[in-house]
Amino acid sequence: MKWGAVLIVAALLLAFGCAGRTTRAAGKKMIVLGVDGMDPVFVETHLASLPNLNHLRQTGAFKRLATTVPPQSPVAWSSVITGMDPGGHGIFDFVHRNPSTRMPVSSMAETTEPTRTFGLGPYLIPLSGGGVRTLRAGRAFWQVLQERGVNSNIVRMPANFPPAECESDSLAGMGTPDMTGSFGTFSFYTDDPAERRDKVPGGQIMQVATRNGRVELSVPGPPNQMRRDHQTTSATLIVSVDAAGQAARFDTGGQQFILQSGDWSGWVKAEYALIPHVNSVRGIFRVYLQQLRPYLRVYVSPVNIDPEAPVLPISTPHQHSRDLSDSVGPFYTQGIAEETSAFRAGIFSKAEFLTQSRKVLSDSLKLFRHELDRFQDGLFFYYFSSVDQNSHMLWGRHEDDLLEIYVAVDQAIGLAMAKAGTDTPLMVISDHGFAPFNRAVHLNSFLMREGFLVLDDPAKVGDEELFAHVDWSKSVAYAIGLNGIYVNQDGRESSGIVPAADKRQVLDKLAGALANFKDPVTGEQVVERVYFPEHEFAGRNLKYSPDLLVGFRRGYRASWQTALGAVPRDVMEDNTQAWIGDHCMAADQVPGVLFSNRAVRAASPHLWDITATILGEFGVAKTSGMIGQSVF
Amino acid sequence: MEIINWLIDTVLLGAHVILSFLPPVAGLTWLAAVVGAGMVWIFGRTSDQAAVARVKRRIQAGMLELRLFVDEPGISLRAQRGLIGANLRYLLLALRPALWMMIPVGLLLIHLGAFYERAPLPLGEPAIVTMGMSDLWDPSSPPPELIAAPGVAVLGSPVRILASREVSWRIVPNFTGSRTLRFRFHGEVASKWIEAGGAHGFVPGKSVRSFWSSVLSPGEGRIHADFAEWIEIRYPEADFRVFGARVNWLVWFLAVSMVAGWFLRKRFGVVI
Repeated sequence: MKWGAVLIVAALLLAFGCAGRTTRAAGKKMIVLGVDGMDPVFVETHLASLPNLNHLRQTGAFKRLATTVPPQSPVAWSSVITGMDPGGHGIFDFVHRNPSTRMPVSSMAETTEPTRTFGLGPYLIPLSGGGVRTLRAGRAFWQVLQERGVNSNIVRMPANFPPAECESDSLAGMGTPDMTGSFGTFSFYTDDPAERRDKVPGGQIMQVATRNGRVELSVPGPPNQMRRDHQTTSATLIVSVDAAGQAARFDTGGQQFILQSGDWSGWVKAEYALIPHVNSVRGIFRVYLQQLRPYLRVYVSPVNIDPEAPVLPISTPHQHSRDLSDSVGPFYTQGIAEETSAFRAGIFSKAEFLTQSRKVLSDSLKLFRHELDRFQDGLFFYYFSSVDQNSHMLWGRHEDDLLEIYVAVDQAIGLAMAKAGTDTPLMVISDHGFAPFNRAVHLNSFLMREGFLVLDDPAKVGDEELFAHVDWSKSVAYAIGLNGIYVNQDGRESSGIVPAADKRQVLDKLAGALANFKDPVTGEQVVERVYFPEHEFAGRNLKYSPDLLVGFRRGYRASWQTALGAVPRDVMEDNTQAWIGDHCMAADQVPGVLFSNRAVRAASPHLWDITATILGEFGVAKTSGMIGQSVF
Repeated sequence: MEIINWLIDTVLLGAHVILSFLPPVAGLTWLAAVVGAGMVWIFGRTSDQAAVARVKRRIQAGMLELRLFVDEPGISLRAQRGLIGANLRYLLLALRPALWMMIPVGLLLIHLGAFYERAPLPLGEPAIVTMGMSDLWDPSSPPPELIAAPGVAVLGSPVRILASREVSWRIVPNFTGSRTLRFRFHGEVASKWIEAGGAHGFVPGKSVRSFWSSVLSPGEGRIHADFAEWIEIRYPEADFRVFGARVNWLVWFLAVSMVAGWFLRKRFGVVI
């Protein structure tokens, strides 16, 4: 009898305990669409062509959505994921620098080597440890939802590679590497002797020889982690060109396809042997036969991780990517799949870039429709990259082409509106807007001019990267990434010379110099605002934070050379590249958008308010470190 | 050979039609079970059953010896030697039935490939047809002409591959069922079936001219035109699933036939 009473009390306590964890979530649904780079001014200008967004504006809400400092996608989406500012989640750029080497490293994830291995001749068999881990701090909002029993399906969330551990379905987005481990490296093959380059940003160019109408192309794969020398693996693609030169047959791994000049292949599977006949990994790529005569020109896309047999974690649960591939066929898994690099390198024309970009969007829309059809309860998040990547290449000069992408995304939003009906809250958000990128600022050259950075030989200015000729015994500051300046601090940087006590003085001097930074050609102010992380951010996870963040005025952006630590001669030059739009400027110059089918009460909503809004809709309390408020 | 091929295909097609209302896995399971039973029956008729029984008893005795005298290295080693000898003897006894079964089962598996290995071409998607040319063809001369069947579009011009004496065409099927592709060269005509649409069916991948090659590439009659050695359509792999999981059809066939044979051995009074 006594034990029976104890059991009853225990059962009641358990019931109350569980009740404490229940939420208002039962039966709740919510859809959030993330449209990277959707710009409020562009939308307002073209509302007549965007009927679904216009409908949301008229019946729900349309507001500018304040973005992060700096307004870069990995930083901004990390704030959406965690509900924290960059000082909380610790992501400040696409790249961070290792203080001891000042070399750039990925800000989003790092690969670790196996801790135990077994050597066998040239091979090194991993026994334990090793893998890839996210560098983002804080918990993803869907992990918090899952704990409260709310299902979610998070598709292609940026800065979510490897995907946050969760039982809910998720697919990694921006930050997911290709098979070589980079953000995307294409291969271009030609027998044109005039093509003398072998490496361009985001790609490699290989000279090939045609013999008897046959060419063997070596498609680079991942470094072989099972070999001591980490030799790069490769797959062979054989091209047989017809004597009349009108078409070619491609053979690889038992697959065949024929292309004529200007044709794209479908997805091709590539097998990369790690230990021949024992262990291999698989990737997928697409081939574009640009030209057969007079010279062969073949483009091979970055080799994507095969969602059917992923070599790295790209989804939760692990088999989710395989299920998706089974349902919709192979799809781009690379985080940023639009081929801006080939366009920048002059290998693609604008028309070719647009064709490739439409293929990425078409792949994405196929996946979107499938996942939207599957959505029944909880939260559905889907991310579109196309507006952002096309804005970079079309902004301000090719408005009609860009509008076509906006229209396609607007149609997808229409499908989500139909699914949401009147009962399900729907939000469409973007992480930042856009601005023209007219003038490229060489921040390190500016620092040199102002006496903050010194070369071992002043004549050695140029595009050589990674601070090749910097004299660290005389330099007090350096720039790397797209918005960050670091003090060469004693005890933090190797050969650092600025004592911690003097750091503030250096930064104030730097801020003053930046405030007076004028464009030597136009006389315009270059920098809109300078941000000090300890003032700007609530969080104190500043280990990798730049010491000062530069908020450029619209039209100005750090040069590509700055991003990788080069020191060209001039402090600024015209941007003559194909990449003509950008957003790595002062945050208030490039706000994003917030559309909803609900009224939005917040006067000036911020990206981290989206996290609080989602949790609030499901009756889930914010976790510590989350700084936003519900916008409803 | 053509008659044998025709006979096997006719029997299999008959079985396929009868079982067509079931999913492919059910048809293959039924067939594998029948073949398993047949193999046990052949094993019983073609092996020395008394010798097989004896050697199996020796193996069992050896195993028991190993377990009982685990602390006696001398006895243990002798038992292991005996076991190796008995196993070799068993393999020798199994050789004769294996030789009896090799040809019919091998032929059957080659023919079953047309049912379970390949799927019809998906509609609206490009596929490749390749012809291996005979010595009569000068690679620098024009290729044969592909006369497309209704519902089959030929995309662009063919590709002549000099090194391997092949000609490839890109086609797009827009029909469901079977059609015939015809290839004309200097007045001669060669033909090849094409299967498209649907998920499962009889899909012969390659047709050949040589008598001996036709053993490995059944399904269609031999090519009787002198200019072509073989014609092949690259079909996608069949999506063969068991309880939703993708499984290689051959693995499933062998597994089911072995299990069926094992369960039926006593009914047939066969010692395996």
